[in-house]
Amino acid sequence: MCIWLPDWPIQQLTAARPELKGQAVVLHETQRGTERVVACSARAVALGVTVGMPLAEATALAGGWKAEGGRRKGEGSGFRVRGSGVRGQGSGFLHQRFPRADDYPPDPSAFRLPPSAFPLPPSAFPSDPLADRRALEALAEWSARFSPIVGLENSTAPESLLLDVTGLAHLFGGEASLAEKILGDFTRRGLTVRVAVADTIGAAWAMAHSAFSIQHSAFSTQHSAFSIQHSAFTLVPPGEVLPTLRPLPVAALRLPAETVELLRQLGIDCVGQLEALPRDELSSRFGPELLRRWDQAIGRLAEPVPMHGQPPQLEADCSLEHPTTRRETIEAVLKQLIGQITQMLLELGHGAMRLECRLDCISAGPARPEPVQLSVGLFRPTAAAGHLCSLVQMQLERLRLPGPLSGVHVAAAATAPLLEEQQELFFLGDGLSRRHDRYLAELVEHLSSRLGHRSVLRVCLLADAQPELAWRYDPLVENSRRRNSRKQLPAELPPRPLRLLRRPVVLSVTSLIPGGLSQFSRSENGTVPFPDDGIRSENGTVPFPDDGIRSEHGTVPFPDDGIRSENGTVPFPDDGIRSENGTVPFPDGEVVPLRLLSFQFCGRDQRIAQHWGPERIETGWWRNRIVGRDYYQVETTTGHRYWFFRRLRDGRWFMHGMFE
Amino acid sequence: MKEQCKDPIQVETLRREIARLEQSPARSRGRPISSGCDPLDRLLPEGGFRRAALAEWLSAGEGSGATTLALGAARQACRDGGALVVLDRHREFYPPAAVRLGIEPEELIVVQAGSQADADWALDQALRCRGVAAVLAWPERLDGRTFRRLQLAAEEGGGLGLLIRPLVSRGEPSWADVRLLVEPLPAEPLLSRKRRLRIHLLRCRGGAAGQSIDLEIDDETYSVHLAARLAHPAAHRRAAGA
Repeated sequence: MCIWLPDWPIQQLTAARPELKGQAVVLHETQRGTERVVACSARAVALGVTVGMPLAEATALAGGWKAEGGRRKGEGSGFRVRGSGVRGQGSGFLHQRFPRADDYPPDPSAFRLPPSAFPLPPSAFPSDPLADRRALEALAEWSARFSPIVGLENSTAPESLLLDVTGLAHLFGGEASLAEKILGDFTRRGLTVRVAVADTIGAAWAMAHSAFSIQHSAFSTQHSAFSIQHSAFTLVPPGEVLPTLRPLPVAALRLPAETVELLRQLGIDCVGQLEALPRDELSSRFGPELLRRWDQAIGRLAEPVPMHGQPPQLEADCSLEHPTTRRETIEAVLKQLIGQITQMLLELGHGAMRLECRLDCISAGPARPEPVQLSVGLFRPTAAAGHLCSLVQMQLERLRLPGPLSGVHVAAAATAPLLEEQQELFFLGDGLSRRHDRYLAELVEHLSSRLGHRSVLRVCLLADAQPELAWRYDPLVENSRRRNSRKQLPAELPPRPLRLLRRPVVLSVTSLIPGGLSQFSRSENGTVPFPDDGIRSENGTVPFPDDGIRSEHGTVPFPDDGIRSENGTVPFPDDGIRSENGTVPFPDGEVVPLRLLSFQFCGRDQRIAQHWGPERIETGWWRNRIVGRDYYQVETTTGHRYWFFRRLRDGRWFMHGMFE
Repeated sequence: MKEQCKDPIQVETLRREIARLEQSPARSRGRPISSGCDPLDRLLPEGGFRRAALAEWLSAGEGSGATTLALGAARQACRDGGALVVLDRHREFYPPAAVRLGIEPEELIVVQAGSQADADWALDQALRCRGVAAVLAWPERLDGRTFRRLQLAAEEGGGLGLLIRPLVSRGEPSWADVRLLVEPLPAEPLLSRKRRLRIHLLRCRGGAAGQSIDLEIDDETYSVHLAARLAHPAAHRRAAGA
């Protein structure tokens, strides 16, 4: 049995906010920088809004409708203003990916007016596929009253529930009364559904989706659910699947849009025509998906209802009678075990997110060596045995086993529903980018498998004033937080260097306080350095004794610089120091723009031609690591640009980056 | 005995034939990727960087501005979809600055390989991937074989490989489609924040090498313009080949 909830995202929203029922509602998401409509209610369709239309256009259309609707002038303009307000709100939520429908502030006008008294202006909401899915999962749980086996259809945006009703119909007095009961119960929940019962999931899905010539406007205009109560289910008698399917359009076979389009171009519109084509050629011309779906629909290929809920333990092991060190054997064993696991996964409609292998070895000595653990993380769920094997093999190649292998244990430690079309990993919209995503997912998994998942990273910008804390890297695999919570950077942020040294390097800089006679500079021994560069100390060496001394890595030579935070990001030893009364040591220090003349870096004197700054950064007090720095952007006489800062606590200069 | 070919038309035909043979079929696909700045596009024979190829940027010292320009090309490459992979072995790449230059954080993948061998392998893999629009890397040593392999990887993947290398590698053989030298120029006091660079086209497949242009980068907007050269008659003469 298949229960289809047409336009589930909209239905979900109107179920959560009844005042939107019968109104023009659009859901939008950002696709390649533009907000586009991804779903719209029947009312919105009637206004000319279509899926894929830019939100701005949709709003304009709705505004136009307002004017046509013959509302009183004053009211009409008032609504239009509100309409644009909603749009602004929508874009404000852009970076906050999953706002729930009930998070929205209640709309006062919705309470003032009865919902169907006259249409409200169109409401635009950001699309939230995850919440839609969760709501449908909740509905699946509720539907367990009809059948113990309930699942969601396999799709990025599921809209159908699949129920196994084999041998259950008599409990409800026949299939027809079961279907009627389901219809009635869903309708009472305020949901519009289409129900079909057939021998196979594929056929039931096809019938639910296309047995009625559904006009988009037929189901959600006002409360029309009751009017279709008696005709909204189809029963396909046993053994009648094939004749029933023949007249249906090919899209009823759950085919990808590209395949349907390709078939349409070839003049194949209905399933019957497809049947007449030579079977051998279908796969090579249209891909394996077509044959798979076709076989599933007519029952040639078994398709279990993908169970919703916790998947059972997925593991396989094998112990070797004759321990071996032969790579070929080990690989063959792993391949076999992975094959078993992927078979189990496929039956569940799941894919592995992490695969763990334990290799038990024996050694000549009495002590049993620690088993070797391999772990493969994935960017997206997969049940492809070959792909998993190649990822495991990549780690195996770099491994030295402590002794002959005696046993192997493989487990899918984390799984997720296998999606027909992969979720978009990056903010890209069209078919071309989906292909990109697939390739990228493979690349990310390969890189992560060999280099470790902490080496393949995505960027998340943070609103932190301290330059080295202004972003965070997140691993790309096994990371549930896919969406980037990008905070808007302040627009007036001064230029930042493309290369930021992991640890700032101590410099010696000659500088002046402009307008004052006193030279300001620093030198370790406290002597007064000379304001102009090129001057050597008496013995002809570099005037600043502390300068140029570097550790082997060319980084900071000072012993006190070894302090780092746990995540290894904060290298500054000065950050924890506070004055006696516990405040920032130089909070009241006024910003004195210094005139920089020259500096020494890597043992070379460099004259400074011009510089910009200072940009004072004082932050970190809530971390208990107070940072006070004056940053200068420096250009040398040769045109090279660097980023310096002067530590306010002690006036030391550091090189922090290069404008590469 | 040396045969003289007098027919200029025939010479031209042969020249075109050579140019055609020099280009592998993979390379001729698609329109070129703009470098993000018009003067540099005009310097390049096809009006931009070819897809499925490598572009080598020699940087004259630290803080020269070569990466800024390379990221401009990367941004253009990402416009048609696909990701930018940055191979940051030394962990000194600063993403906020790249975002300021117009790179979308969503399309940025940073790879931190531990060893040189891993870094080379990752570079090869990233170039080979068809979902990658551009790869930015700072390879340290590149022997001829590795370089050739990278070029083949780029041809397979179809993206643009941006390799930033120190000036000392100037003498080494290159499999890159284009080799540019980026050299900062001393500031002119009147130019305020604008940054001046000179770009030499050292090597270029299917085009005349040896030209150079002066550019100005505006720090605030990151727009790049052709710099007036009147102040440097010597440089002008040198550029003209005198």
